[in-house]
Amino acid sequence: MLDHDRHGDSTGIDADAAIVPDLAGGLIDRSIYSDPRIYELELRRIFARAWNFMCHESQIANAGDYFINYIGEDQVVVVRGEDGAVRVLLNTCRHRGNALCRAELGNTKTFVCSYHGWTYGLDGTLIGVPGKANFYRDAIDQAKWGLVQAAKVDHYKGFYFATLDPLAPSLFDYLGDVGRTGMESMLTQGEVVALDGVQKNVIDCNWKIAVDNLFDWYHVRISHNSASRVGFLDQRLMMPMSQMVMLGELGHAIGGPMVSVEKQAQLDALSDEERRALDQLPDAERAKQAPIERRPLRSTAARAAMGPLGVRAMGHPNIFPNLWISTRGMQLSLRLPRGPGRTEIWWFTVLPKSFTEQQRRKARKFVTHAFGPAGLLEQDDGENWSQSTQSSRGVASRRYAHNMQMAMGQDEVLVDPSGQKAIETRVNEHAQRWTYRCWGEWLRARDWPDLLANRSPVPVGRI
Amino acid sequence: MPQDVQTSPDAMASLGVLEKATLQYEVEQFLYHEAALLDDRRFAEWFALIADDIHYWMPIRRTVTVDNLDREFTTADGMAYFDDDKADLGMRVEKLQAPSAWAENPPSRTRHLVANVRLLEVKGAEVALEAAIHVFRSRLNDKIDHWIGKRRDRLRRIDGGFQIFERHIFLDQTVVLSTNFSSLF
Ligand code: FES
Ligand SMILES: [Fe+2]
Repeated sequence: MLDHDRHGDSTGIDADAAIVPDLAGGLIDRSIYSDPRIYELELRRIFARAWNFMCHESQIANAGDYFINYIGEDQVVVVRGEDGAVRVLLNTCRHRGNALCRAELGNTKTFVCSYHGWTYGLDGTLIGVPGKANFYRDAIDQAKWGLVQAAKVDHYKGFYFATLDPLAPSLFDYLGDVGRTGMESMLTQGEVVALDGVQKNVIDCNWKIAVDNLFDWYHVRISHNSASRVGFLDQRLMMPMSQMVMLGELGHAIGGPMVSVEKQAQLDALSDEERRALDQLPDAERAKQAPIERRPLRSTAARAAMGPLGVRAMGHPNIFPNLWISTRGMQLSLRLPRGPGRTEIWWFTVLPKSFTEQQRRKARKFVTHAFGPAGLLEQDDGENWSQSTQSSRGVASRRYAHNMQMAMGQDEVLVDPSGQKAIETRVNEHAQRWTYRCWGEWLRARDWPDLLANRSPVPVGRI
Repeated sequence: MPQDVQTSPDAMASLGVLEKATLQYEVEQFLYHEAALLDDRRFAEWFALIADDIHYWMPIRRTVTVDNLDREFTTADGMAYFDDDKADLGMRVEKLQAPSAWAENPPSRTRHLVANVRLLEVKGAEVALEAAIHVFRSRLNDKIDHWIGKRRDRLRRIDGGFQIFERHIFLDQTVVLSTNFSSLF
């Protein structure tokens, strides 16, 4: 779906009249959280263009398995066909637009429309039209009325993505070094499998506020104070004075705690077997013996896949625009836009296939208690995000930009001999500023070629 | 819906009608008392009603078609909204009382309505029951949540009352239309 394709554009919102503010300088114009024209432009120029995360392959393991997701506000069906191929179909009947698939997941042989019975195969072809001879007098070309498919579907080692834009670069290129490093953070113990169940809840906040929070290691000590008081969170491990930020082209980034060079060297000296053995020790014992407390002991293969800097980055990756990966690489979260002031938050969970039953149980216990609406951490986030959104809307309030200037101009992006680039610093807002800078570039670009020609290169040097 | 307890009235057949009525009264009074403790934010007292072997669980419910109803709820080895043992629940209770638990400061106003209480099984000191719940939450000035569903509880008789050793909560919504679950069910 190209940006100049205006068929069916009936929102009545003149997205082209949107004023995309310049956010360089770390001043965030509050209109970006409420202006319906900006929001409409985001749907067109970010979500309808980007590679959007769909699901993990293990969620649709068998022919006929389907899972519903969204690209912007377009609902899509991610379905595995009889041929084993995964397709992403717009969930709207070509006859009168009815939603074909009403369930969130399941298994089926065909998609039958509940309105007039048009029937589609798992590959989206229209295979049945009731009354084709009698009512249509055979004057309908079924081949033309199959379900609309995403322009491209691809996966990164089992994690499926789709884009509606045929001009989008390949998924591999789209992710780039930083995006791939982020994806690899889920694969540090080899192949993974999704746990059944995606936690979903709705927060009255702008989607970007939920996104930029993932780089925000400033709020942890305050917002999550109660979670650490009761012993769920260890504030020491939030490492506010030892942070790494990696910025990637097109807006991907990783930001958060890092493993020091010395600790990484200690880890590198251990074989994969030794790491696995350490990982299975009880917490207190592991903390004493392992070079890295609580965080994953990434394998030797992970170091090769993530690079010498990436393997030390223990923060949160964001795959632009809205896919957050958790620090332990076991959870992925989508922040799905539902209007300028509403966001649906989804949490997927993946665990290494190699986990023992005991490791599985322990991991599951941690993930069910961290995030999701009942999460001991996330409980306290949602209201901050919704109040930041609501309280930025007033006529007077919206005249005053948000301050996103922490550590601006005070750090360096260094280039490793491997070519990887990172900032090693303290708590900062570099990744947030980068996200918004790239966001502006996405919104200003007319199409993919324009975006690719005019996007910022990854900064080097003073930042 | 996981059928982990007998739901036929036969499970109670060994009891006479007066015994049943007395037990029904005791159980209902206990559930009302417990609900009042939560609504009055007397969390420590509520926590005292929780047995050491508690399993407090709210699976994820999904919208599925009739032929996929076996997948409506996540199961024990899947994800959940709550999957707590005593220590986990203890953290929640302690957190609820911390002034820096921002999601509950200012505190929410809740009302736990418990109805349709059906005793399912009596086994020695243990009683299994099912109840319909309606948890109403009013937050700040304009946030309203209604959580309606069914609860499967197992109670154990102790001196002078009951303790809860199993609470499974099945909500009647799929995507949770709330900012969070900072309340207990
Ligand atoms: S809308 Fe689907 S068959 Fe008519
Ligand atoms: Fe947070």
